[in-house]
Amino acid sequence: MSIKDLLTPFTAWKRITKDPVTIRDPFNDRPGAERYRGFHKNDVNKCIGCGTCEDICENEAIDMVPFKDPISGDSGLRPRLDYGRCCWCALCVDVCTTNSLTLSNEYTWVTVDPEDFRYTPGVDKKAWDDNEKGWKKPEGNYEFYNINRVEMHHLHPEDRDKSFVEMVKGYSREQAIAEADRCVECGICTATCPAHMGIPEYIKAVRHEDMEEGLRILYETNPLPEICGRICTHKCETVCSIGHKGDPLSIRWLKRYIADNVSSDKYKEILNTIDLSNNHKKVAIIGSGPAGLSAAHYLALMGYQCTIFEQYEKAGGMMRYGIPEYRLPYDSIDKDIDYILSLGVDIKYNARIGIDITLEQLNKDYDAVFAGTGLHLGRSTGIPGSDNEHVYYATDLLRQITAGEEIEVTDQIVVIGGGNVAMDITRSLARMQNQKFGKVNIITTALEREKNLPADLEEVVESREEGAVINPGWAPQSIEIENGRPVGLHVIKCNSLFDDSGRFNPQCDITKKEFFRGSMIVQSIGQGMDLSYVSEDFKKDLEFGPRGRVQTNAHFQTSVKWFFMGGDIIEGPDVIHGIANGHKAAIGIDNYIQGIDFAPAK
Amino acid sequence: MVEILKELEERFQVSDLVQQKDHLAFVSVDKNKAIPMITWLKDQAGYTSLTLITAVDWLEDGKFQLTYMINNPKNKTQIAARVMIDRENATMESAHHLWESVRIYQRELKEMFGIDFPGSPGVDESFILEGWVDIPPYRRDFDTKKYSEETYFPRPGRQSNDPAEYMKSKMYPNE
Ligand code: SF4
Ligand code: SF4
Repeated sequence: MSIKDLLTPFTAWKRITKDPVTIRDPFNDRPGAERYRGFHKNDVNKCIGCGTCEDICENEAIDMVPFKDPISGDSGLRPRLDYGRCCWCALCVDVCTTNSLTLSNEYTWVTVDPEDFRYTPGVDKKAWDDNEKGWKKPEGNYEFYNINRVEMHHLHPEDRDKSFVEMVKGYSREQAIAEADRCVECGICTATCPAHMGIPEYIKAVRHEDMEEGLRILYETNPLPEICGRICTHKCETVCSIGHKGDPLSIRWLKRYIADNVSSDKYKEILNTIDLSNNHKKVAIIGSGPAGLSAAHYLALMGYQCTIFEQYEKAGGMMRYGIPEYRLPYDSIDKDIDYILSLGVDIKYNARIGIDITLEQLNKDYDAVFAGTGLHLGRSTGIPGSDNEHVYYATDLLRQITAGEEIEVTDQIVVIGGGNVAMDITRSLARMQNQKFGKVNIITTALEREKNLPADLEEVVESREEGAVINPGWAPQSIEIENGRPVGLHVIKCNSLFDDSGRFNPQCDITKKEFFRGSMIVQSIGQGMDLSYVSEDFKKDLEFGPRGRVQTNAHFQTSVKWFFMGGDIIEGPDVIHGIANGHKAAIGIDNYIQGIDFAPAK
Repeated sequence: MVEILKELEERFQVSDLVQQKDHLAFVSVDKNKAIPMITWLKDQAGYTSLTLITAVDWLEDGKFQLTYMINNPKNKTQIAARVMIDRENATMESAHHLWESVRIYQRELKEMFGIDFPGSPGVDESFILEGWVDIPPYRRDFDTKKYSEETYFPRPGRQSNDPAEYMKSKMYPNE
């Protein structure tokens, strides 16, 4: 300690005889200025607990503390201030992704307990909670991150409605980096993704232009990134914190950017899968859709010898035979699948379980069996006329288009259904009508009203751009047949689908009728599972749930211990649930083969 | 203000003129013409009052920008003169002889940005940062957060949670 240190405290004494420079005024309030930056306020119902305020604080004055249980899109945490450190810079307010955080203009607060100066605004009630003055982020003035997404280039409707060429172009390097730069790395999205992908981590890899690291992160939870980067239902984007003030991150396109920018011959080296161990155990996988492929991938990494049995000529299941090429080109499917097969996964095409080989036989030949056979049987509306030969199922037509088979296309078509599959067949048929007749004449109708359509909004918008009429809110009554062919569909207005207790119970108004002309009708009201490969005897051992679904446990093991099931047949339907199920099932199968027992299926 | 700006262009070759408001204009001036210009403005043009001197760190360009804002109390106009100087060994001619308060600004700029003004009285004395050993804190390469972490200790009992980790622990702990 120097002499200066000792004397410093006394320097204040030299002013003891001077007049104070401050003015004493015990009678009047001295409110802060209109926009004074005083104590924090937080609208805890608006705040989503993203923690961006904590990250930006240069003084580490903010902690994220539990407030309620997390739900999709809200971590349940809320910021807690430590006024021992806060400098009232208001960076936290300006960056807040929801504008929930503000500062009051209150600046006096006297208490004897220093612990009081740590509090959770909005949760711990304070006198200034209703104070309207103070600092709010000025609107439209500046943003700490770009609230607008980098637009993805789409082919114009005129350029795309005659061909099956991929319509979304993909980001350039500059676009991808600019888009990735918008992410605040809160990770709110990860819980909402069924596969719990490391989203902020791979977005960071894009920002740092480290595609190899990006690819490794993708494959930790998702072995079909080219595919998901194009057609994932991207639930993550619905909760992105950036979406509260602007457009959410284009998470899906960034994933695609990574996969598109690593050439397939580098995959094995980057993912460190050149030499995989072999544990000499064998697993049979039924179906090469997302669930089956995902299970095969993760099992192969663990050293299992997997054989996939695929009923068609090519692998991919619904991804190949259900999703049109303009949304998901075959090259992209092949890139993902070829890599999985290159890990030593064997695949037998045109192999039907129950016909070419029985499940029981698979049990004898393999240590475990996984079935990801999906939902691909079209469901019928059952209305009069629906058994006519010119009334089709969307899934059949989509499969035939992929297989290159000739299908009927007439100049006036009605599609029944409001989901993504309905939009897929609408848009595919629209393209074919355009090729054949030079114009589109197709009406797609659904029970649901416009705002409740189950299809992704962009699918509906793009269908319309391509000339299809989407006319929702109608219940199909009958198909009128003349001379052995349909001439149209009778419908009545459908006002609501569910009753007060949430049961499916459509309420229709029979006085409001409509007739949609069409010489060909396509039904796309959902798909059912095809369990014909399971023998009646075997079915007796399987436990079924209330709606005819096979019961599985958290590891996707059925009540028959060696038989695992996952994908659309259990959960979904969508690709990403299939991938997540396949991954979990792979871990379950590994545990099972190693003799670890789990709780029974329920 | 048009005439005075024209005159500054002719006499001191100022550039990047921006007339921000009716009574406020910004100009850029070369480093070696800055103090002569300010002196001229004060002695000849009625800009007798100094409003402030401040700096901006253009880290990427390797420059500091000094801004001298001066005021003409008669016609109530302001001129802000921008001067770019090299960031490395940043030095600027002192203006302490023009106004009494300049040495205070210069002392502050020395401490906060590390810009030297040789000959300015007391310029090396600490201004508010007694015992400061780090790089000047207003330089943009000063890492405020790192400094906070290393210098201040969290109050006992403080604890934070990462949103993604917390959600995993509550929503899907076994996956
Ligand atoms: S940035 Fe805003 S929304 Fe996010 S945790 Fe902080 S206060 Fe809540
Ligand atoms: S993508 Fe959105 S939700 Fe996900 S980490 Fe980035 S900012 Fe957060």
